[in-house]
Amino acid sequence: MVNGDDNIDESRRKLLQYSAVAGLAGFAGCSTTGNGDGSDTDTDADGQSGGGDGSTETEAQSGGNSDPYTIGMIDSLTGSLSAFGERNQRGKNLALSRVNDVGIDGRQLKIQVEDSESQAQSGVTAAQNLVNQAGVPFVIGAVGTGVTMSVYESVIQDTDVVQLSQSSTGLGPTKFPDLLRVSPSGRSQANALADIIAEDGYDEVAVTYVNNNYGQSLADAFMSRWDGDIAYENSHNQEQASYSNLISQMADSGAEAWVFIAYQQGYSTMVNEMYESGYEAQMYGADSIQGDTVLENTPEGSMDGTKIVTPSAPVENENYQEFASAFQEEYDREPTSWASFAYDCVMVASLSIAAADEFTGAAISNVVRDVTRPEGEEVTSFEQGMQILQDGGGPSDIDYQGVSGPIDLDENGDPRGFLQVLEVQDHSYVGIDFISG
Amino acid sequence: MEVPKRFQAGWEGMSQVERSVAATLLGLVFVLFLAVIGGVLTPAYFVFLLGLGGMYALLSLGLNAQWGFTGLINFSVAAFFGIGAYGTALMTADNSPIAGGFSPITGLIVALIVTAVIAVLIGIPTLSLRDDYLAIATLGLAEVVRLIALNQDSWTNGSAGVRGIPPFFDGWPILDGLPRALPGFRIELVPGSPLFLETPFYTAMLNLLIVGTFIGITYFALRRAHRAPWGRLLRTIRADEDLAKALGKNTYWYKMQAFVLGCLVMALAGVFYAHLNRYVAPGTLDPITTFYVWVAVMLGGSGSNRGALLGGFVIVAIREGTRAIDFGALPLEAAPLRLLVIGLLIILVMRFRPQGILPPQRELIWPGVVDDAPSQPDKAVRDTRGANNE
Amino acid sequence: MPPFEFLASPLLGYLANGLVYSSIIVLGGIGLSLVYSIGGFANFAHGDTMTVGAYAAFVTYGVVGAISGGVLGLPVGFFVALLAGIAVAVVVAVLTELVIYKPIDLDSIGLLITSIGVAFVYRAIIRMGFGADFRQYDIPTLRPIEWLIPYGVRITRHDVVIVLSALLLVGGLHVLLQYTDFGRKMRAMADNPDLARVSGIRTGRVKLWTWVIGAGLAGAGGVFLGLYNQLTPRMGFSLLLVVFAAVILGGIGSVYGAMLGGIVIGMVNQFMPALPQLGRLFPIIPRECDLPLVTSQCGIPIGIEYANAVAFLIMVAVLIIRPNGIMGEEN
Repeated sequence: MVNGDDNIDESRRKLLQYSAVAGLAGFAGCSTTGNGDGSDTDTDADGQSGGGDGSTETEAQSGGNSDPYTIGMIDSLTGSLSAFGERNQRGKNLALSRVNDVGIDGRQLKIQVEDSESQAQSGVTAAQNLVNQAGVPFVIGAVGTGVTMSVYESVIQDTDVVQLSQSSTGLGPTKFPDLLRVSPSGRSQANALADIIAEDGYDEVAVTYVNNNYGQSLADAFMSRWDGDIAYENSHNQEQASYSNLISQMADSGAEAWVFIAYQQGYSTMVNEMYESGYEAQMYGADSIQGDTVLENTPEGSMDGTKIVTPSAPVENENYQEFASAFQEEYDREPTSWASFAYDCVMVASLSIAAADEFTGAAISNVVRDVTRPEGEEVTSFEQGMQILQDGGGPSDIDYQGVSGPIDLDENGDPRGFLQVLEVQDHSYVGIDFISG
Repeated sequence: MEVPKRFQAGWEGMSQVERSVAATLLGLVFVLFLAVIGGVLTPAYFVFLLGLGGMYALLSLGLNAQWGFTGLINFSVAAFFGIGAYGTALMTADNSPIAGGFSPITGLIVALIVTAVIAVLIGIPTLSLRDDYLAIATLGLAEVVRLIALNQDSWTNGSAGVRGIPPFFDGWPILDGLPRALPGFRIELVPGSPLFLETPFYTAMLNLLIVGTFIGITYFALRRAHRAPWGRLLRTIRADEDLAKALGKNTYWYKMQAFVLGCLVMALAGVFYAHLNRYVAPGTLDPITTFYVWVAVMLGGSGSNRGALLGGFVIVAIREGTRAIDFGALPLEAAPLRLLVIGLLIILVMRFRPQGILPPQRELIWPGVVDDAPSQPDKAVRDTRGANNE
Repeated sequence: MPPFEFLASPLLGYLANGLVYSSIIVLGGIGLSLVYSIGGFANFAHGDTMTVGAYAAFVTYGVVGAISGGVLGLPVGFFVALLAGIAVAVVVAVLTELVIYKPIDLDSIGLLITSIGVAFVYRAIIRMGFGADFRQYDIPTLRPIEWLIPYGVRITRHDVVIVLSALLLVGGLHVLLQYTDFGRKMRAMADNPDLARVSGIRTGRVKLWTWVIGAGLAGAGGVFLGLYNQLTPRMGFSLLLVVFAAVILGGIGSVYGAMLGGIVIGMVNQFMPALPQLGRLFPIIPRECDLPLVTSQCGIPIGIEYANAVAFLIMVAVLIIRPNGIMGEEN
């Protein structure tokens, strides 16, 4: 190391000071309601007060009526789950623009998005920023059950802030009634998969699952439901250059039904390697293996007959079709379940804010389940819901039907899983069945 | 009063570098203070970030004990951070597969013991390697530890992680529950921007207290150790290991001691992390943490404990400060832009200020030399340095 | 009946797959080893240099892919794209060296930290340009080579190209280093930079050309990695640790060392499935066992998820015996 001689001349000291100022500017930057999305109106640096804490009075939003409602979102914008973050953002942006076309009582919605970096530690820091610095009463977050639970237990649990996760399918959140999510617990998917495979007449399977909380918990749920033999089961790591050792083991096992609980990137690699090795099997998978990118990156005929269970509103439903076509128009691709989840999160948040007495965590948490529950008129768009509320209706007068399913948050904060069974036919996804949770 | 005189003497005792850094730091602190008072930066978040900075400062201190003082290029920082975290988590958490329900102090002790054992295990094959090989070997072994943590469900709960870790002061007479018990204050120094000093603030303050205590103990322990003959020997090893060997010292054994010591400090940071986050997962051992701590040590000024402390806070400032980067005007995604900015910052610092912000000044000179120097000043040695260093 | 049918065994399959995967690692490793020994530091941006090459080839292929003709299932356009990928990787790396590394007067650890920053920059730019999702070259996926299947070997012609390319590049590099004037200068610099400079070798130029070759190899490695698997902004970075392990194991600065290291690591990875079933695969070992810590087929109960862990442990074991790597310089 170049130690010692510090002939500090003027210029170097200036550089230090400038970078210090820059660092400070960055620091100061994080205190304003910057990083917002989708709002065209001017916002002032009015840090939202009182993130809703039990021990003192909370403050309703002060300031003029034209101020936007600001909520927070924790998303995996970088890191190993960044592809899902991207998909989430698409769904969220579409929803946001629709909400703001109508407005919440004449005010806009603003979402401050923070990056969890696909890690619990950064997710917690992001949550600290949103809850303690920006003071939002509602947080959409996070991606990955581990991160979600960490955020909840470390930051949200002791506050009144409402947390609604867009993408946590592990079994853990069920134990925490205040931790809400729109992605159904993996158990319903796992059970459905097991039942479908049994119906198709197979009595032994080979299973592989991604080596994280999502994969592990789904696999556990599957294997406890599965009655037949498990010829092979093993985890795999994400983002590997090669899964040929996994594929050869699965082929060795002799099972003809292979179950994949994997992310699209890994699954795509596996399908290609199966094709290139000449292995064939009847494939089944969780929703994470589905997506346009998988179709684009695998050869024709390599996946035909694959059955996938995905949480989704029935694709024949009008609201889903309308959503899908708007999505297609905006982004030139079909929506994935992640986009749908994020979309629904924003919708639920907006409806809850509109229905709540005041813009505080306590008030919103009182109404958030009701706007999704079956009592009340079914609404499929924010506009419809807003209309009912403005006509004097309350939260129980609306039943928001999402594009990812009917939602219907129960007392554990879990949604009612509505599953679509897809089959790959002619190298595209076709809905063949649906299962109500 | 004695204090101002001490400060004055201290100020005069500092070199050019230290003065400019001290001045800048004071200025920064002042501005931040204003920001908090003015309601621009909330107290709870600010104190939380301070705590996080303290954690990284602790990690940097540990790495500095290995790299700065002994020249060991250790890339397994994340592993020992994780071992510390898992050690206490597995002892104290509800859903721990091994034990659970013990007090955090027990967790701390167990974590440190396990760390020492694994540090020795990792040190044995690697410490006799040369620099570059040591780096990759430690990195590889850190990955082995991470993969074990990830895959051995029966030991660590695997990818589900260990949840339900109690806060550090769980069960203590006064401190447990203090954040909730204290009354909340609403201070309005600047009209329209009230400050809330409530439970989150008190929790953050308590955490700051914990990490501050850890840092204090570590800093002073390391300082004593490094000024002792032991420390001198380590610096000799760093400068020229063959010389040390020629002097008849068992350098391997001393390197091992330094290595284990550094790892214990890192584990301490991990223990703090576990009780802060209340959840530990294999992601905690991701090598990216190692890289960030290295950057912190280099940024702060390698070889210098003060520099390491500073570096820890600086890296947190950079990482959290860049969260707000959003050039809405440009069609650029914010998140990778942040990665880009961090990368550029690293390059710029390495290019223009490679010795870090606060390189060791007189830390590496033991007091005797300066004190016993001839009073007829030889400018090259004395400069404006006074009798008190640091 | 296929000739030599008795050779058929899963082991051959593992061997073949191992050869292909090793080639990928070798392609990544030889460039790294070269820069390490002559540039003097561990370049953590090497993986992302591979990514740069891969994406540059992707863009090029999108433009030139339509040209017909080809070899071994790869259209001519692919080879054009390969050259483009190499070229871009070289340009980027050389620029980085001139603008960033050279002016920095630091020791190897300082340069290593700098290269981490450089890696972030490469990765961020690619991510911003192409998004986080994965993609592939628009080349049809192939079926395995028919006549090899009865032997348990399931590889495609693309895999053959990958192995051949690796052999070609390694061989070419070896020729360069051993039999050319320039190679001699490179080796001299690797051994003792100061002596080399003193004896009249223009070390600045040699170093620059080392970067050219190293980055070119990285670019090629990235393109073939993209062919082998797929393209993502993190593709090079994800492979980096394994590549480092291979280079260290083989010994820094030795081309054959990097090759050996790559083969060891690659083979270990692909042979992992064999471990739990040693009894079934090897006639010497009993078919069934009932012992603790041993699987029912008399194998070692390590799952494939530990493939990397085993690789690293082997690396450390080798380093204990030979602290400079298998073929490393004896200092």
